[in-house]
Amino acid sequence: MASLVLSNVSKRFGGLLAVSDVNMEVPPGKITGLIGPNGAGKTTVVNMITGLLKLTTGSIKLGDRDISEAEAHEVAFAGVSRTFQNIRLLPEATVLENVVIGFHVHVRSSLFAQLVGLPSSVRETPKLFERGRQLLERFGMSRYADHPAGGLAYGHQRRVEMMRAVATDPKILLLDEPVAGMNDVEATELGDVFKELAASGIGLLLIEHNIRFVNQLCEQVYVLDSGAMIASGTPQEVMHNPAVVAAYLGTKK
Amino acid sequence: MMNLVYTYQPLFDYFLLAVGFAYSQQMVLRAGVFSIGSAGFASIGAYFVAIVVKDHGMNAIVALLIATLLGCVGGFLLSIPLARLRGVFQAIATLAFVQIVVSLCLYFDELTGGPQGFNNIPKLVGTWHLLAAVLVTIYFMYVISRSAIGRAFDALRQDETVGATLGISIRKYHMIAFVLSGALAGFFGGMQSLYTFSIEPEMFGFTFLVAALTYIILGGRGTVTGPIIGALIMSVLPELARPLADNRQFFQGILMMVMIAFMPHGVFDGLVLHLRKRRAAARDKLFKEAH
Repeated sequence: MASLVLSNVSKRFGGLLAVSDVNMEVPPGKITGLIGPNGAGKTTVVNMITGLLKLTTGSIKLGDRDISEAEAHEVAFAGVSRTFQNIRLLPEATVLENVVIGFHVHVRSSLFAQLVGLPSSVRETPKLFERGRQLLERFGMSRYADHPAGGLAYGHQRRVEMMRAVATDPKILLLDEPVAGMNDVEATELGDVFKELAASGIGLLLIEHNIRFVNQLCEQVYVLDSGAMIASGTPQEVMHNPAVVAAYLGTKK
Repeated sequence: MMNLVYTYQPLFDYFLLAVGFAYSQQMVLRAGVFSIGSAGFASIGAYFVAIVVKDHGMNAIVALLIATLLGCVGGFLLSIPLARLRGVFQAIATLAFVQIVVSLCLYFDELTGGPQGFNNIPKLVGTWHLLAAVLVTIYFMYVISRSAIGRAFDALRQDETVGATLGISIRKYHMIAFVLSGALAGFFGGMQSLYTFSIEPEMFGFTFLVAALTYIILGGRGTVTGPIIGALIMSVLPELARPLADNRQFFQGILMMVMIAFMPHGVFDGLVLHLRKRRAAARDKLFKEAH
């Protein structure tokens, strides 16, 4: 399995340096945390990794492959998947259809076969839907398979987004504030899901506000403030770092 | 009885042509591309077929195949400069394309007959040909909608950023949508030529593209049945509104506004969504009673 490595990554929006010189590694099979106050640039980092934003400087590598310049769909094919801070489901589609679209990178039938209806394409569709049902089963969401995704409760929508990301069979999974707005019980449940995913060899990057949640799950934590990496280490080390305390709580006069 | 058939046969023929153009329009809208360029491709197909069949005696089937290919190439070429545009900007840019085609047809009057139109085209297409063409098109539309291409289109329409992060190349699939839409418009444009004896540039102008959009807005963007329903409503409505005589257009307009306001997904797609919600609610109730 491959690590995701960011080296000296910066992003400039006009005169604003939103992210400066970030170095970070997301190893496989572990949950890595990325924390920081509002506006620190966490989502900008995720958007750069997934190819939605171009880097100003620096490089991003997945294993041996340089994905700094790759477009969003190429990054997905390389094995990086994500969820969004503000949940983004396909609202008209059912839960099952939302998950099945996650299998897009696994489609094997050619465009021609799909256009004229050759057996390779016609047989593939029910197979993907079957795999989608298995995934729903694994996440305990089978009973919602045919629900329009836009009508589900918040916590369930989060799960659908998670399943869709897992459906791509990623090497690296980026979770942008996955437990925002959840209570502790729901968050702990989801935390168990993350542990399982990491145990299966996926490298997870957990972007969070909820420091307690990060402490429970991560071995390595990075702290971003005003676009710069101000600390990294185990959760204990980071929590006692004066710079981190200052970033979150302010300094004494 | 036979009288009734003869009276309504032209209406049915125009309905079939409308279904063809409706599918061309739906193809792009389904992928989230707000192109209204179908009229332009239909015009290209129609004039090409008319000219080569009448003036050069080309075989009609070969001519139709080339018209389809011209639509593909046209769609491909148009998709390149428009790749960065979205929504209303796409609509305006493709409208400009339609206007260019209309004015070229007016300008090259030696070839196209200009504003007088191109007349005396041999009538080689009848109801059965149109019906066969529509059935084949429905087959393709069904196959595509069940394939990974159809799923990619649905994803891009609803949220293209999500689609891209799941591996769907926006540029590639928008291009496919343009190409397929162009192919359908070029083909049915050619069919119309061989059906109507004469064509003129304005036949494929603003009225045409508004009609094509209306089929989809009324019928639905996401299903194979939607465009058929939309075309059916637009073909039958003027007949039903006949007693209203001079006020016909007025009432037709009102009815359309009401339908769009209350069924924004279109009559058929709206029905599918509604049934889906009802079924989900019923299953929820069963589940709760069981626990």
